[in-house]
Amino acid sequence: MASIIGKRIPKIDAKAKVTGRAVYAGDLKFPGMLYGKIVRCMEYAHARVLNLDTSEAQKFPGVVKVLSPEDVTQKKYSNWVIDLFYPKGFAELVGDVEDQSIFTKYVRHQGDAICGIIAKTEEIAEAAARLIKVEYEALPVYHTAAQARKEDAVQIDPGKPGNLAFQLPEQVFPGNTYGWGDAEALMKEADLVVEDTFYVPKVKQCQMENHTYISLYDDEGRMNCWTSTQMPKPVQTKISNLFEIPMSKVKINQTTIGGAFGVKLGMIMEPEACAMAMSVPGKHVMVSALREEDWVMSESRHPGEYSIKVGLKKDGTPVACTANFLTNGGGYYSHASGAPAVAGTWIIGMYKFQACNFKCQRYYTNQMNCGAYRGYGNPQSNFVLEQIIDRGLKKLDIDPVDWRKKWHKTTGDDGWMLGVPYSSCALDACLDQGAEAFGWVKKKEAYKTQTGTKRRGIGVAVMNHTSGAFPFLHEHSTCTVKLNEDASAEIITSASDLGTGAHTALQQIAAETLGFDMDKVHMKVGDSDAAGYDIGAHASRTIYVSGTAVLKACNDALDQILEKAAISLETDKEALEIIDLKVCVKTDPDTFISVEQICYEGVNAFIDGATGQRIGVPGQIQGYSSHYAEHNSPPFGACFVEVEVDTQTGEVKVIEVVSSHDIGKAIHPPSVEGQLEGGVQQGLGMALTEETYYNEQGLCVNGNFTDYQMFGPSDMPVCKSILVEEPDPIGPYGAKSCGESGLVAPTGAAGNAIYDAVGIQFTGAPITPEKILKAIKEFGLDSDAILPFGYGCKDGGIPNLK
Amino acid sequence: MKTCDITLFVNKENYSMTIPVNRTLLQVLRDDLGLMGTKYGCGTGECGSCTVLMDDKPILACLTLAALASREKIITIEGLEEDGILHPVQEAFIEKNAVQCGFCTPGMIMKSTALLAKNSTPTEAEIKGYLEGNICRCTGYVKIIDAVQYASKQMNR
Amino acid sequence: MTSRILPQFELFMPESISQVVEHLKRYGKKAAVMAGGTDLMVRMKSGFFVEYVVSLKKVKGLDYVDYDETKGLSIGAMATVNQVRDSQYVQDNYPALVQSAYENGTEQTRNVATVVGNILNASPAGDCACAILALGGYVTLQGPNGIRQVDIDDFWINYRETERKTDEIALEVVIPPPRGCVASFMALTRTRKDIAKINAAAAISMKGNLCNKARLALGAVAPTHIRLKKCEALLEGNEITDELIEKIGELVPTEINPINDVRSSAEYRRSVSGVLIKKVIKKALG
Repeated sequence: MASIIGKRIPKIDAKAKVTGRAVYAGDLKFPGMLYGKIVRCMEYAHARVLNLDTSEAQKFPGVVKVLSPEDVTQKKYSNWVIDLFYPKGFAELVGDVEDQSIFTKYVRHQGDAICGIIAKTEEIAEAAARLIKVEYEALPVYHTAAQARKEDAVQIDPGKPGNLAFQLPEQVFPGNTYGWGDAEALMKEADLVVEDTFYVPKVKQCQMENHTYISLYDDEGRMNCWTSTQMPKPVQTKISNLFEIPMSKVKINQTTIGGAFGVKLGMIMEPEACAMAMSVPGKHVMVSALREEDWVMSESRHPGEYSIKVGLKKDGTPVACTANFLTNGGGYYSHASGAPAVAGTWIIGMYKFQACNFKCQRYYTNQMNCGAYRGYGNPQSNFVLEQIIDRGLKKLDIDPVDWRKKWHKTTGDDGWMLGVPYSSCALDACLDQGAEAFGWVKKKEAYKTQTGTKRRGIGVAVMNHTSGAFPFLHEHSTCTVKLNEDASAEIITSASDLGTGAHTALQQIAAETLGFDMDKVHMKVGDSDAAGYDIGAHASRTIYVSGTAVLKACNDALDQILEKAAISLETDKEALEIIDLKVCVKTDPDTFISVEQICYEGVNAFIDGATGQRIGVPGQIQGYSSHYAEHNSPPFGACFVEVEVDTQTGEVKVIEVVSSHDIGKAIHPPSVEGQLEGGVQQGLGMALTEETYYNEQGLCVNGNFTDYQMFGPSDMPVCKSILVEEPDPIGPYGAKSCGESGLVAPTGAAGNAIYDAVGIQFTGAPITPEKILKAIKEFGLDSDAILPFGYGCKDGGIPNLK
Repeated sequence: MKTCDITLFVNKENYSMTIPVNRTLLQVLRDDLGLMGTKYGCGTGECGSCTVLMDDKPILACLTLAALASREKIITIEGLEEDGILHPVQEAFIEKNAVQCGFCTPGMIMKSTALLAKNSTPTEAEIKGYLEGNICRCTGYVKIIDAVQYASKQMNR
Repeated sequence: MTSRILPQFELFMPESISQVVEHLKRYGKKAAVMAGGTDLMVRMKSGFFVEYVVSLKKVKGLDYVDYDETKGLSIGAMATVNQVRDSQYVQDNYPALVQSAYENGTEQTRNVATVVGNILNASPAGDCACAILALGGYVTLQGPNGIRQVDIDDFWINYRETERKTDEIALEVVIPPPRGCVASFMALTRTRKDIAKINAAAAISMKGNLCNKARLALGAVAPTHIRLKKCEALLEGNEITDELIEKIGELVPTEINPINDVRSSAEYRRSVSGVLIKKVIKKALG
């Protein structure tokens, strides 16, 4: 049978999506369904609730219930789920806290939930919401770490003095530092030291589906929740913990995910929806956000000041690197011990420095909470590391592609997790093929001398990411492969597909391993009752870990087939092999039994009336795996960007982007390309146009698609995606990850391209025409001016204030 | 008037109803007619997820009063398929893997069918310009543009 | 109310202009006229409350795009941006208006939004409005006391405020025939589909090799679109040389009063205003 791995087949969910029949949470309707509205504090970013008066709202016709903070569980929780992926002892060590209430009396950011209204229709709920009277005591608003850590600042969490939410704990990371060697000491041996503090922006995932959840507390006392979370099984755990009901009483129905990019790495409104459902047993309650609410109540990327110092020898040999990420974390703890620390790991894993040290601090602030966004610290690190490197290379007159090729870490070197070496690395091929497709050498030559008002520039950046989170975090996926009597299979898993094509690829892995046609294999997903544990979709783990679970479960099913065939054919398992759905004796292929017959008899081993014996070997075949990943195969990638800057207006046109990715093996190539191309749109946006702005009062001023500017179809450059396939020894069929990678290197490469075009380096993203034109006027083209990160911003110290 | 009687011609079917005048076409399509393919992405006309065809022209259902859509010919994503045969644009989106999360897809497809009906051989620049107003956060638009070009070729064969 | 739910209002669907005027006379400020509705719907979803909405949908004869050599181009109150963009009359005679139409909103809004509405919206960033200010013309208003015309130069009083009284309906905008005038429009945006950070239009008529009349319009640099009178004076009666255009570029920033907003900064608008005007003049001259 021809291999299905690597084939450009249609995605299994494509038809439902192009016909409009794919069901998202907001499309569901249940008889008697009620509507839940979360009343949020939109007027203040930091305040205490002095008085909450729900009396008028309660009387409003059509209102079923109004829930104040006292009416729901007082148990605290944290909406992220990564705190479930290590032992409680480690959570205590790093200082994880559970600080969120379903409805709060202490507003820590605009959009915090005050109370809930359950009504017969959305119109009634909205009208009743307007009758809620809240008296607030306004508190000072902190936008940055610098403001929050002042002596006289209000302590947002009494357990976190100085408003420091997280830094790497001394007990595990001496000096609160991750890395190797003493970089500061070694810096003296460098011939050239370049250093700076960059600013990385507070960008938003902007998934197109707006957040909708439906909950039902049914007559068996089960909490059913329809949600498009990326992590259904961990969320099942969290809901069970929060409402103190056994996990068997919690059912998570994962609906079609209309984009996530990390914003759904845990819970968003499930706690409120479930609390509302609990108050009206037997009735479904739909809780749907408004798009304007997405910008205040779901989580953003971690922004902040990112300092870096790199020491190089004259010949370019990397000596030492120190970096510090000071991030403005938002009002709650969620992800505090995650992205800030993980950001440093991507620097740790990139180059062959003799010493590399990373520190981070996340402070509480009163802007939207920071969480997970594709790349999890990597795009920030890339913007910073790749640009500071190029600054040094320019001074040393070394080609940026050549240098990266020479000095990147590779197979056998310690990866982002020290002590865990890279299993494979095709970055050289990525750089070679990327440079070739891009025309790096030709363009470099062509753009050496330019006249006229338009300036072209080229930039390159490289990256490393991860395939799953082993060994830093728990990695576990289960899979059941249920064979029907006609030898068709259901693959039962809790792995998620965020739109990436993961389910299609998992089905390909299953079909390939079983030797079945694709349409004899069905993915049974999204049902926490049916499937066993799976972490869910994060850390680019789905193909690598969930895919391996699928593969192992299929192998288990095949093993059972062989066992049964051995009995039927009265021989040993080892003497048999499966060819084209027939289990044959290796030395005598004409002696065989079909896989279908094995399956049929397994389900229907009737007793032969004549002989009294069973016909066939009884036992329905269900392959199973509980796969704990014991490895990680991080992918690498390179990105080449060409820009054209209009020196009279500062406008940047991105002409071409080439992304070359070390995929190992592309299970579904069009999906891999799609991940890279979509990543380019987000990476360029982060570097050039996207930022969430606040006013002095901490209220978001551009929380809509008109004022939060993303790259549209006409802004996108020519995009080329190169899939470099050097199979990894561990990944399923050689595959490594790609889900997050595509977003990372475009940020650094875009920065480098602008630096090349105008000869001025910008340390604050987004690099807008306003900043570029101002700099050209003030310093001149090719002045090699290095601009502080607050350059061109309203308040030099707080870049996202408007 | 605070309510009015309307007749909507949607996907070649007639629907008569009495509605409050402040109801949008998007609400009526989804909540009253059960046509869930047209999406609420932003509600303020910025994302294009609610794009439907009125009189063969793409418009935004979230910015249209249902009362003013009475007696107009409306086509939603559900109305593209005929007798189980997908529209060439739908086939193209499948073929070219232009669908990731799928949330923008109905609006994107409706917009693209309108473009190809008006101009069956658009240039790449024309496709890009026409698709502005439909936001996709997953694909970077690359394969969407491929799909429209592919559909154009198929339709001109 | 919210992006999903509109506030409650009473809807009128009059079938004649006089009926429209009657409603406006009766309800004044409590009523809003809905032509295409794209601006009004967004405002209503963002907290703007109005008790009465007067839809022009059933009023026949307002969707015209007419042209004759004497009067010029007449755009009726219900003529959509795309109708205007695609009209042969406009394509042949007013390329600046076509260019501004392509910038104005997106294909979906252009199928519904009206050019007259863009003028009434009185946003200083309006694209069609900018082109029309350069091209010149007047708005015809009808109220209980009859019909009057207001020159486009006098039509915008302040940010989102026009000469239209609350009991008047804007029937049309009329743009004079080109008579050899060349014009062009450009906008700077953050991304392609964005509202303009700054937009500009130039309409120039020559007499021999001297500039006879010039109208230069700039948007998003003041509470309303403005004409650059000093720059225009510099052009009129002179040969338009590269040096003159450079001088104009330097003079532009002195005529404007831009602000910082979420789209851009006052400093940037000041810096690029001259560049944009120079570009649009050169583009008009071909």
